[in-house]
Amino acid sequence: MTIWWLLVILGFLGACGIGFVWLIVHVGRGGSGPAKNPADSYIEGAERDVEHIFNEDFREELRNRGRLHFEKIIGENAMFLQQDLRLTTSQLNEYMKAEITKKLKEEFAKYEESIMDAKQLAIDSIQKTNAAIDEERQALGAQLQQQAADEKARYVKLFEENMADVVNHYVLAAIGNQIDLSDQLEYILGELETNKQAILEDINSGA
Amino acid sequence: MEPKHATLPELVVGPTDIARLRRELEALDNYLRQAALQKQTEIKLPKTSRMMDEFVALTKLDLLQAGDREQAVELLQRILKEAPVVHISFATDPSSAFVTKIVSWFRQNIHPLVLVQVGLQPSIAAGCVVRTANHQYDLSLRKHFAAQRPLLITKLQSMQTP
Repeated sequence: MTIWWLLVILGFLGACGIGFVWLIVHVGRGGSGPAKNPADSYIEGAERDVEHIFNEDFREELRNRGRLHFEKIIGENAMFLQQDLRLTTSQLNEYMKAEITKKLKEEFAKYEESIMDAKQLAIDSIQKTNAAIDEERQALGAQLQQQAADEKARYVKLFEENMADVVNHYVLAAIGNQIDLSDQLEYILGELETNKQAILEDINSGA
Repeated sequence: MEPKHATLPELVVGPTDIARLRRELEALDNYLRQAALQKQTEIKLPKTSRMMDEFVALTKLDLLQAGDREQAVELLQRILKEAPVVHISFATDPSSAFVTKIVSWFRQNIHPLVLVQVGLQPSIAAGCVVRTANHQYDLSLRKHFAAQRPLLITKLQSMQTP
């Protein structure tokens, strides 16, 4: 039963289609004389109504639309310009930061190199000074040792030369006041006896 | 009495003692002259020094007699002028007995009227230094040490060498 209903419906739809095609073909053949083009009629109408269409209101409307469009474009361009400006500023900042950092690094490197050169120069100078001081100290030490040795030799020689005088002086100072004069009487009389003849001749010749 | 034949007591050592004797003798002479002018019957001789007593005893002069006093003064003046003077220095101040022995030796061996001037010279340590008018005799221990200096140097050097 279902198949039958389906066939009926299809048949109905086919009949409707055939009828539509026929209608269209029949309507197209049924016009009298050469038929006029509608587009031409529109152009002619437009030419007749051009002044009526583009009146002041329509122009004002167009100006308003143009102004709005222009403002929109200006706004968009301003926004784009602002974005570009921000981007440019950001890039410029980055560039300046990079350049300054680079310059600073270079200057710091030069400064550090200068400091290192000065440090090395100072170290060299100090080393030269230390070397000179060491040489001077060694020379001075040797000179001092030589002078001390010379002075010691001179003192030893002087001491040996004057040793007898030193001993004599010491003995005389040590025992000078300890010898009683009465104990010296025999020695003195003996010495006088030894020089008796000389004293006698001296007294006789002087008297 | 000639000075060469005169003698001096050992207490009279140097020119200072002679001058002292002379002053004492002059004072005594003044005293006796005053007593004579006052016509005193009993003239008592004043007390004199020991040096004067020995001098008088040795010369055997009577000081109560004016002539002997003048002779004594002349003798002292002549001794002071003509007697040889010897200067002798010691390390310390000698005692009078020591000086007496020294003076006695000089008068016995050199000259009977020699006058001795005693000096002090501590640097000689021991011994003496005799100085006459023309010469000086260093009889000190210092001179003896100086004379023995080469021997001392030799001994010290022999002690230093190992």
